[in-house]
Amino acid sequence: MIYEVSVGDRRLRVDLAGDGRFLIDDAVVAAETTETVRGRQWSVRISGRSHEVTVLTTGPLRLLVDGHETEASALDERAAAAARGASSLRGGHHELRAPMPGLLKTVHVAEGDLVESGAPLMTLEAMKMENELLAPARGRVVRLAVVAGTKVEGGAMLAVLEEAE
Amino acid sequence: MRVIRACRELGIRAVAVYSDVDRDALHVRLADEAYPIGPASPRESYLATGKLIEVARRAKCDAVHPGYGFLSENAEFADAVRDAGLVFVGPPGDVQRKLGEKTQARRLARDAGVPVAEGTLEPLRDLDHARREAERIGYPVMLKAAGGGGGKGMRAVASVGELDAAWRLASGEAAGAFGSSALFVEKLIEKARHIEMQILADAHGGIVWLGERDCSIQRRHQKLIEESPAPSVDEALRERLGDAAVRIARAAGYQNAGTVEFLVDARGEFSFLEVNTRLQVEHPVTELVSSLDLVALQLRIAAGEPLPFAPKDVRRRGAAIEFRVTAEDVRRGFIPATGRIALLREPAGPGVRVDSGLFEGLTVTSDYDPLLMKLIAYGADRTEALARARRAVRETIVAGLPTSLAFHSYVLGEPDFIAGRYDTGYVAAHWPPRTPATLDESAITAAALVAVLATRGRATRRPVASPDGSWARAGREEALR
Repeated sequence: MIYEVSVGDRRLRVDLAGDGRFLIDDAVVAAETTETVRGRQWSVRISGRSHEVTVLTTGPLRLLVDGHETEASALDERAAAAARGASSLRGGHHELRAPMPGLLKTVHVAEGDLVESGAPLMTLEAMKMENELLAPARGRVVRLAVVAGTKVEGGAMLAVLEEAE
Repeated sequence: MRVIRACRELGIRAVAVYSDVDRDALHVRLADEAYPIGPASPRESYLATGKLIEVARRAKCDAVHPGYGFLSENAEFADAVRDAGLVFVGPPGDVQRKLGEKTQARRLARDAGVPVAEGTLEPLRDLDHARREAERIGYPVMLKAAGGGGGKGMRAVASVGELDAAWRLASGEAAGAFGSSALFVEKLIEKARHIEMQILADAHGGIVWLGERDCSIQRRHQKLIEESPAPSVDEALRERLGDAAVRIARAAGYQNAGTVEFLVDARGEFSFLEVNTRLQVEHPVTELVSSLDLVALQLRIAAGEPLPFAPKDVRRRGAAIEFRVTAEDVRRGFIPATGRIALLREPAGPGVRVDSGLFEGLTVTSDYDPLLMKLIAYGADRTEALARARRAVRETIVAGLPTSLAFHSYVLGEPDFIAGRYDTGYVAAHWPPRTPATLDESAITAAALVAVLATRGRATRRPVASPDGSWARAGREEALR
């Protein structure tokens, strides 16, 4: 199986041959790997060099390589092709999501409100600070998913804004 | 945890309390006794004075140590502990009140002959008053909560146009954190270093200063790295800061451990900031340099013992530096992160101390502070301490959620930091790094292989019975994701 891999800003083509050998960009690599913690950590030896690679987070994939963090991804060829073909979201439609977990202190708008770009929509209390979440564009609040006083997780959907002319 | 350790060494029975989400916490497991005090919300548990005192009574405690969060700087709590016939490990309520209201503390410092930053010595009446005072002392200014410190309810204001929004946010935060929205204004000192002095005072008038810590590496006015001695402080300045701290402590009738915070400007002139009337997160740095156990000393002072040494007997040797490992995504503006600790390796070896409550399987929530672990390195001098820190950070693994380790790893290789050239603007000036560290070819290859193995493993993993029990383990690992 062939994978399109990124490590930081490097792109590589990794071929996992059926006989346990690795090919990177069509060259055979003399690497020996051991899974030291299942699904989490591998010890990799390449020509005598010892590397310890730990999966820090899986979405997105972040690896700790000998004490250095790096972003990485691996897609098999079919998935990579599919990803390239996927179309982006239609424009003009903004989902406001919580940038961090916290307590939603105030909601400054109501459904149906027309807001200017940069207008404060909500105040989120987190890390001993109050953070104002601002409108990413001028538009109408078509949906409010939360009320003031709610504890929200990072990434939680808060509101939907439909861009206005 | 820190307090339990000191108690155990002194042969004192340690009683812990916990909220519902902390049932599995390390301090609960290691204490001699542990009692539930309610739900996760601090107001209904860790801040519920009545419940805490009830537990202390029922468990027949002699004293209450407030730690360094929640009620550690709450004068009413200190009073309530005393009124219940228990000993409060910290300064009495009336001392805390004198120093807790920040404009009153500024007046006290000024009257003790200690320089304070230009600004108001009374809380501001309203936004209009703030505008006039800011105009008088000149921008940039800091708008700060009068009801308490610790970086909460605090905004830098560069010009009059920002004052309105800063006022709104700072007073909102202040009301939430301290129950009072009162603010004051002071001149913002640019290129300042945050230097603080550790003091100890007994109930018999004995006061000593133990040494300074540089805590300038901050984000959102919250500390990330602290070290002692401060690279920029010479012996003469150290003596002056120590003397100023002792004068303030004496004027306030201080007792127990405390920290007097100062700002030191680019010319080495200092001004008083505030007093933290408690043990601080970064106290291990001073413990390593002074060879003292500050928590043990807190307990002895609270028991009425005089300080066991004179000011001239305080010895400072070597250098120590603390790195706060927090659950934060440092690549996205240090926003707090949550998740389960999937894999943990704490560093060890010469000159390394770890104060941590972590264990594999722990769920880190947004209920409390994002601090996970304190990694402290000690050496004969700063160079050795930094080398040990670099080595220890590289050894450390906290997998399952983003942490500040990536930041520390970068800072430990950054020339200005290595040279000790930094001030409170350091994080803004250096982070995120313009040139991220690059891996060598061999490491990139290893990472690429693991990226494939980890991705493939997730896609194809199925429960397969195997003799070594890896099925059950796979299930657990899956649950940890």
